[in-house]
Amino acid sequence: MRMRSARAWLDASEVFRHRRARPVARWERWLLGVLLFLGAQSVVLFALWWFRRERVGNPVLFALLSIATWYGISRIVIGWYNAFHIEQPPLRDATPGHSVAIFITSSPGEPYAMFERTLAAAAEVRYPHTTYLLDDTRDPRIAALAAQMHAVHLELIGIPGAKAGKINAALRLTTEELILVLDPDHVPFPEFLDRVVGYFDDAGVGFVQVAQAYYNAPRSFVARAAAEQTFAFYGPILQGMHGTGTAVAIGANCTFRRTALESIGGHGIGLAEDLVTAIRLHAAGWKSVYVPEVVARGLVPEDLDSYLRQQLKWARGVYEVLLREYPRAFRRLTMHQRIAYLMVGTYYLVGLTTPIYLLIPLLYLLTGLQPATMFLADYLLRAFPVGLFGVLIYRFVQRWLCDPVRERGWHWRGMLLKIGCWSVYLKGLLFAIGNVAVPYIPTSKERRTGNFRQLAAVPLSVVVLSVAVVLWAFAHRLFSMPEAEVRMTTEASVAMSAFALFNALLMSGRLYAAWKDSDRNRQDRGGDISSPSSPSAG
Amino acid sequence: MYDRIDLRLTSFAQRLSDAEGDAVQRTQRSSRSALVVAAYPKLANRAWLARPDRVLWGIYDGGFPDSFAGLSNTESRLHYSFPIVSIYQAWGDRPDEAHFPSRLAQTIDRLGSVPMVTWEPWVKDFDEARRPNLPPANEREYASLAAIARGDYDFYVTAWAAEAAKFGRPLFLRFAHEMNDPYRYPWGPQNGNRPDDFIAAWRHVHLIFQKMNATNVLWVWSPHISMPWFEYYYPGDEWVDWTGTGVLNYANVASWSRWWTFHQILEKGYPALAKLGKPVMVTEFGTLTEGGDARQWYADAFRDLGDKYRAVRAVVFFNQPHDSTLLTQEPLDWSMLQDPGATLVVRERLSHR
Repeated sequence: MRMRSARAWLDASEVFRHRRARPVARWERWLLGVLLFLGAQSVVLFALWWFRRERVGNPVLFALLSIATWYGISRIVIGWYNAFHIEQPPLRDATPGHSVAIFITSSPGEPYAMFERTLAAAAEVRYPHTTYLLDDTRDPRIAALAAQMHAVHLELIGIPGAKAGKINAALRLTTEELILVLDPDHVPFPEFLDRVVGYFDDAGVGFVQVAQAYYNAPRSFVARAAAEQTFAFYGPILQGMHGTGTAVAIGANCTFRRTALESIGGHGIGLAEDLVTAIRLHAAGWKSVYVPEVVARGLVPEDLDSYLRQQLKWARGVYEVLLREYPRAFRRLTMHQRIAYLMVGTYYLVGLTTPIYLLIPLLYLLTGLQPATMFLADYLLRAFPVGLFGVLIYRFVQRWLCDPVRERGWHWRGMLLKIGCWSVYLKGLLFAIGNVAVPYIPTSKERRTGNFRQLAAVPLSVVVLSVAVVLWAFAHRLFSMPEAEVRMTTEASVAMSAFALFNALLMSGRLYAAWKDSDRNRQDRGGDISSPSSPSAG
Repeated sequence: MYDRIDLRLTSFAQRLSDAEGDAVQRTQRSSRSALVVAAYPKLANRAWLARPDRVLWGIYDGGFPDSFAGLSNTESRLHYSFPIVSIYQAWGDRPDEAHFPSRLAQTIDRLGSVPMVTWEPWVKDFDEARRPNLPPANEREYASLAAIARGDYDFYVTAWAAEAAKFGRPLFLRFAHEMNDPYRYPWGPQNGNRPDDFIAAWRHVHLIFQKMNATNVLWVWSPHISMPWFEYYYPGDEWVDWTGTGVLNYANVASWSRWWTFHQILEKGYPALAKLGKPVMVTEFGTLTEGGDARQWYADAFRDLGDKYRAVRAVVFFNQPHDSTLLTQEPLDWSMLQDPGATLVVRERLSHR
């Protein structure tokens, strides 16, 4: 398994190849329906068991634990509902005659070689188009490169609104009907536009999003984890959203209709500018299409520091959409869109629920306060079916990943890193509520090293605190707690200690990444993976 | 299958708890069970428990069943370990009712004491959906004792008796207490439950326990002796091991109560109770503190127990600081520790062998 997935990334001709998610067979939909029905039943049974008056211990803690638990379960359930609607747009050949622009933005500090690759690949895209380089680097070499690669160089200096500001400025300077906004680290395949343009024959379609995929995923633990976090989203999740008319513009490589962008006053601005644009377009009545195909590959952050910055930016941006755009758009959205944007907008609430999970066992071990009167054995038995169907359905819908050979798996790295980064998501929430600005910096395209203490402070404190409290509680029980109380509470204290140590273990992903990144010698070497310098080698 | 796995996990948890409790005995160099056994060497002997030659002290604590911290605290203040620990359980399908309380009983056993379960037939607590053979919940309470005697609730009694038998150690069972009080519990006479129905129900339940080999159970028949004619509810000598009654001084909290001494509460009913020839247990013992002298109340009670009430062989303190069964505005505080003088008197009495 490990060999296969490692090898799968080695061959550039395999990695840089057009991929499309498998179509949905009738029997698969039936089987999925059965699994979803059984899963829903397991959730109902668990809820009936959970929400009973005799379950309530300390009411405040019970409320907190219920919020954390049922936030997680409700996301699973909505994910199931979404999976039930998986739909792929019919294959449609590109009709000739659309005028298409590709916008590539550049910012100071981004590596020259990256533009070289991306511009070269953009020139190779088959469907007739004009490539524009939206440039504020003031670097004559970049301007010369644009000319060499037959791209139009637009010098756009000092325009507020970061990337989106430049896009809006470029919109005023150009006339093309369709605009593909390409991230500079993404190498488009020649068939990119052929796979997208046909959907604009429907005059109601405002934007077409394609899968976002990466070529540097195997280069480090962080890259692998960050990529794993996106596989399901660009696979079954967005296909389900396509089925309910809620496919969003997100990540990169979205193609917009000019008139659609103009109808909402241009590309949205903000830390989650893609999402801002999408919600406004949906509110204005534009339809969206999700094409489950890999037609470009780009970069994920390879080091923890870049990853954390990116996550903070996204969390802050997504909350901004939830708090400011969502209420404004709400009335004009369809019911499915309301649910979808609420789900996207609350994705980073793990930043709020994780500390609840971290706190509850420690609080019990220190004070004896119990959120709920349930025995561990009973809880495990009742929660097991929900977990089982969660896993079964997660694995089952992986047949609709865009590139299953490289993407299928348990994605434990992605989950570990996400849980380990709870403090960043919490920070994002607090910043959004307090309206604290996070600077818009393009995600770093190069590996950096970081300071271990800085990168690991939060997860390390969780580990140290958890272990210390567990040890203290054990000593306290042995040496000073009355025997009667000890005998009565062994089960609870063992369960809570296990819970606390498990929480400590959950921090291991981020700790490992921080340890790797704190010393250049420990960082994985990246020389032996496929490089986009030979995108058409195969 | 659920039940089997649950049983496995529960017995695993019990082994863990035993291991930890034994470790605590070593690290703290004390063992509650050793203390109890030193004072009552024959406590594990059912025959001795049916005719003890010494007074047994017991306690119910308001922290049960969630916590034993209240018990530990009380015992450390009193420098005493109670040989009887009293708990309450209602019939029904709720998780805390559905099974014999084996976790609690085993913990009490490991601590060296004998559990007393006050077993209350709240028949309406059985789930309508799971029990299609039973009448609707709100129709069950009328003549519920006759229904029990008829065998309508054998499914519950039988399973419970089997678990009690599996527990294996001596255990006081106080079934359907205060059955003669028409103002208290649904199994009282106000719901068409006649004395004959009570006796039939008691014997029926008793027979099931015998059939399930739950002979470790000691049967405590516990009427409300301030109500007349309670003797008519007596199931018969061969069906009862102990008789008992509560002696609680409600002081001035209700229109029907005033500050009564232990003797004033007990004197009228006691002769009839003692005449039955069984050891007598004061199953709920205590006083409130408003409107009188709690220290004096306990001191008088201990004096009277010694010379007027020699048939009383067990006294169970009702140490409940938050009693809301009377539906008074504020929960009632029966704890003897709230009054320092009372604490001293109780400690002093318990220190005598």
